[in-house]
Amino acid sequence: MAEFVQLLFNGLVAGSIFGIAALGISLVYSVLRLVNFAAGDFLTLGAFTTFFLATSIHLPFIVAVLLSMLLGVVISLILEFLLWRKLRRTGAGLLALFLVATGVAFVLRQTISLIFGGNSQKFDIDQIKTFEFLGAQIAQAQLAVLCCASVAITFIALFIKKSTIGKNMRAYADNPSLASVSGINVDRVIIATWTISGAFGALAGVFQGTVQGQFTNGMGLDLFLSILAAVILGTIGDAYGALIGGFVLGVVMELSTWDALLGGIPSTYKPVVAFAVLVIVLLFKPEGIFGVKARKV
Amino acid sequence: MTALMQPGFWVFILTMSGIYGIFTLGLQIQYGVGGILNFGHVGMMALSSYTMAILIISHGINFWIAAAIGVAVAALGGALLGLTTLRLRRDYFAIASIAFSEIVRYVIYNSDGLTGGVQGSLAIPVTGENYPSYTDTWDSIINRARDILTPIFGEIVDRDFVMAIIVWTTLGILLLIVSRVERTSWARVLRATREDDEVPAALGKNVFRFRFQAVIIGSVIGGIAGIFWGLQSSLLSPDDFLTLVTFYGWMILILAGATKVKGLPIAAIFFGFLYGGSRFFTFWPFSMLDASERAYVRIMIIGIVLIILMMSRPQGIFGKRQEMVLE
Repeated sequence: MAEFVQLLFNGLVAGSIFGIAALGISLVYSVLRLVNFAAGDFLTLGAFTTFFLATSIHLPFIVAVLLSMLLGVVISLILEFLLWRKLRRTGAGLLALFLVATGVAFVLRQTISLIFGGNSQKFDIDQIKTFEFLGAQIAQAQLAVLCCASVAITFIALFIKKSTIGKNMRAYADNPSLASVSGINVDRVIIATWTISGAFGALAGVFQGTVQGQFTNGMGLDLFLSILAAVILGTIGDAYGALIGGFVLGVVMELSTWDALLGGIPSTYKPVVAFAVLVIVLLFKPEGIFGVKARKV
Repeated sequence: MTALMQPGFWVFILTMSGIYGIFTLGLQIQYGVGGILNFGHVGMMALSSYTMAILIISHGINFWIAAAIGVAVAALGGALLGLTTLRLRRDYFAIASIAFSEIVRYVIYNSDGLTGGVQGSLAIPVTGENYPSYTDTWDSIINRARDILTPIFGEIVDRDFVMAIIVWTTLGILLLIVSRVERTSWARVLRATREDDEVPAALGKNVFRFRFQAVIIGSVIGGIAGIFWGLQSSLLSPDDFLTLVTFYGWMILILAGATKVKGLPIAAIFFGFLYGGSRFFTFWPFSMLDASERAYVRIMIIGIVLIILMMSRPQGIFGKRQEMVLE
């Protein structure tokens, strides 16, 4: 029981991070039809800039996090004006979008590596402090991440549901041409999309860095496919689906190591569980758990 | 700059480009003809090279048989990938194929008893009198070839030189075969499936079967590249088979113009120079960076080349634009 509670809690923490990161990817896909292969590296960016601002310049942690999110937004918008806008206008195909996103990922990750080096870094946070809950050891840092992530998720879910720009985003994702003829400002929708994706990507990176304790320049890349699994599990393009997909995936990955389940798998195989979920969902329900049967494209 | 004057450096670049050229040829038949976005191609290289190494080291199997089985396992990997996911939408297949190659890498990484795990092929379990090397037969072949080639080329002939010749001969033969294959009616049907599923299907062609065959052929070629990769490095590590490597192949393919094979060798050499040469970029401004930082810059440059190519010349240097803007 204690082990189950522990794994469930770990799963929820991991899931909240997957959910936040997956939401950005799913939104970008719904509005721009772009699978952002660079999304993982925005997590790394968030973690490293927060580390730099909080640990080297000694800004208050919360300020450092907010500035990192801002940087994530700025870089996302620069890329939008520099690359994505032009690619959309020229009607670039799937391969061009994939490869440009991959190129962006390379440049971003190597820039981070050049600035911060290849060593692992850690936030100035007490990782050891834990308390007992139903026999499970709960780290305070993990609990803090889960709480903050829940607040962020609630905020963003309400924003997409209630705000005008959120409604515009959903309308545009549903039917771009209909949305633009009914007077929706497309540029604003796109900017809002990148803003959410950049900011929450960086935030997810900070959360992941906090939970992991130590992180390297490969952190986001290692997580990317798992996040993508959450995106597809929750129906690609569906923001709420991505959040739920993230939680489901996080819990499934943790519980897969549970002894009671046929001895569980070694925890080093956790990413393989995510990739397997990705492939299985694509095979049997490519429209995701919430999707209606997708039209054949 | 002195490194650039050494013939050994250029031989090294040639060998690497040749191996990457073979690797990319597998992608060329899949994407250039079949329009299949395979982003997990590096998995085939991992399967063939590790299979060969394990068979030789753990089971003492003859090199040629082990290499052949290695390529066969790569083909099986392609079959598995194709049978399960090739019916998916194009973008979903691309994502699933990355997952495939990452699963291969993670399994290699975590199966210490079979593959040596993190420590690479040096830790593959040995039997009897063996030791963890899988290149003995190959080394003796190289030495024999060296004895034959030295009178022709003189002192320049060393292990790398012979390797470069063998790799490029293989690439040349494969290029000839593939360009012949691409003129057959089989390739014409495959090319038609790239543009549109329904027309070939209406003409009674089994679209899936053609694509599946393309994936298998590409995987066999990727498997051959894996064998050479293993022989060239004489030491395998799971980190040799990052998804990054697949994108190196894609860069070469786009540079060459995906729909034609003729640009491929030149694009491969350009990539080889970028990849291998940048570690010798010891002049300003690169002299301010240390070796590991130069490695970062190398991948960054490759990223920038990818972006610029796709933004300005997606058809590559030798390609036709109208054949590339297709979805």
